[in-house]
Amino acid sequence: MAPGQKLYPRATVKKIVKAHSGCNISKNVDVMIFLDYMLFMQTLMKEATIEAKQGGEKCITSRSVRKVTGDALAKFKG
Amino acid sequence: MARESHPPRPSAGTGTGTSALPTAAATATTTPSRRAVSTDAIPPSTAARTLTPGSHHTLPRFAAGLSASARKQPGPSATPHARAAFRTINSQRAAAVNTPHRQGAGGRRRSARELRETPRNFLLPLGRVLARNTEVIVSSSSATKGGRGEDTVLEEEEGGYDDEEEEEELPKRPRLSLPIDEDEDDDDDLRPHRSAGLEDENFTMQSIEMPRRAYSEQPSRLSMGSMRYSDFGDGLGVLAEVGEDVGIDSGFFPPMEGIDEGNFELEEMPLFERSELDIARRETLVRDSDFEFEVPLGMDENTVVLAPQIGESPVRQPEDHDEPEPMLHSRSGADDSSVADGDAGGFSSGAEDVDVDVGVEQEEVTAKSAAKRPAKKKTTKMSKYGIEYPSLPQGVVKRLATTFAKTSGAKGKITPDALKAIMQASDWFFEQVGDDLQAYAKHAHRKTIEESDMLTLMKRYVLFLYMNGYLRTGSQMTPFALAQRHLPRELLQDLRMTPPVPLKKRRKTGGDAEDEDVT
Repeated sequence: MAPGQKLYPRATVKKIVKAHSGCNISKNVDVMIFLDYMLFMQTLMKEATIEAKQGGEKCITSRSVRKVTGDALAKFKG
Repeated sequence: MARESHPPRPSAGTGTGTSALPTAAATATTTPSRRAVSTDAIPPSTAARTLTPGSHHTLPRFAAGLSASARKQPGPSATPHARAAFRTINSQRAAAVNTPHRQGAGGRRRSARELRETPRNFLLPLGRVLARNTEVIVSSSSATKGGRGEDTVLEEEEGGYDDEEEEEELPKRPRLSLPIDEDEDDDDDLRPHRSAGLEDENFTMQSIEMPRRAYSEQPSRLSMGSMRYSDFGDGLGVLAEVGEDVGIDSGFFPPMEGIDEGNFELEEMPLFERSELDIARRETLVRDSDFEFEVPLGMDENTVVLAPQIGESPVRQPEDHDEPEPMLHSRSGADDSSVADGDAGGFSSGAEDVDVDVGVEQEEVTAKSAAKRPAKKKTTKMSKYGIEYPSLPQGVVKRLATTFAKTSGAKGKITPDALKAIMQASDWFFEQVGDDLQAYAKHAHRKTIEESDMLTLMKRYVLFLYMNGYLRTGSQMTPFALAQRHLPRELLQDLRMTPPVPLKKRRKTGGDAEDEDVT
């Protein structure tokens, strides 16, 4: 991922998770969370790519993404 | 087809055994108890009898038993419509009673049938005579009895099925007269059934369920306020009106707010703090905090209803005594909400008292909430804890998505709507992660989510086994190795500073993978 660039806004991630969990968040958890999110995105995009190829689409469309989202989320269910 | 299958079932189900099976004639001669059983088979048969001209042919054969004659008219049932109708009827009966349709229906019918049976004996000859006449009339419209043109057959069947259904309710009579007179009326009633049967059972199921959902939605809205409204409403009409307003608003406003807040701006600390304050305040008040919290846009009243009750509880007590009202029990809900009032206040507290309080404080609260609103509008979404949260900036998501799409071999771009879907997915993901982490932290009796929670969460993924396939390291994938792979160094440093002990453990187990990855 782009080297010179900030990978992600840490505060935002913290806020998102904090809002969803209703808990406080320790200092560096957001890194792990974002790592997790990256893994999720990886699976999601991989599946979506496969789906798009199977569907004969040239580029990844919302259809393929939507189709795959449920599975990807289920994989990352704790 | 269908009709032939019917008669054996009841006998088997009731346990009469072989004797019932052979023919209806045999059953007719058997003992009364068996007759009752055999009569189960009758309804379809009787219906069929009235239905079609074919019944003539069968009648002479089995003079002894009606049921037999009725059964013997397979012709009409053979048509697809007839089968469908049978199915629908059977399914309806089956649905009505959980037990196999035979038994369930049999149980019902027996009672009715025994009543019928006596008149039947007299009516049999009548029926045969009349049936011939009626049949001639019906069939005369189109096809002859023998030919059984499908059109006529269908119509007749419809009438017949109506008859069958009505049999349950009405005595035999209607059947005989129906084919002529009642066909028209019955058709109106029947059409829904017929269509349902042909299309599938689903239609009926849906039609049943749809109202349920709609119905359930309404109460859910009301339910938010129900603890107050219903309770107060019993006491006073005025309060009920207030409650309704609140309920409607509460139902409508949260979505409104979401719409209004379409633009998301990066979060600012002041916003966040405010939201927390609100939550804390509301939690202290009542459980409904979530709803009210969302409401603030238009809904001053919601907050008003709850806040004043507790806040002014001391004031009420004197007033309560002044106005004794009979509605003690109905106000139990009010007592709950206004427990602070004190025991005495709770009993005699008039709905009016509450009303007054609400009215007074509504204005105050509106002023307060009005001041807060503009700040809240900036937020995009509301979590279930009533905390506003932004979504990840689209640029970040897009960058991640494109890189991962490339690595996974996609050539084309990601369409904008696909990106929207991805954003949506990532929102869901964070929501899920938040829930899971919260569960872990709660389990550990912590109020803070720590790295260990995240590690347990990641360990729990079956995903890691799955990922072994396409991550080049064959050995176990540890979160740490993954971090090495994906995260830039600054972030890794943060990670390493985190608990050293678990890290060492992890290195031992997944050391190979790590080394490979790192190098």
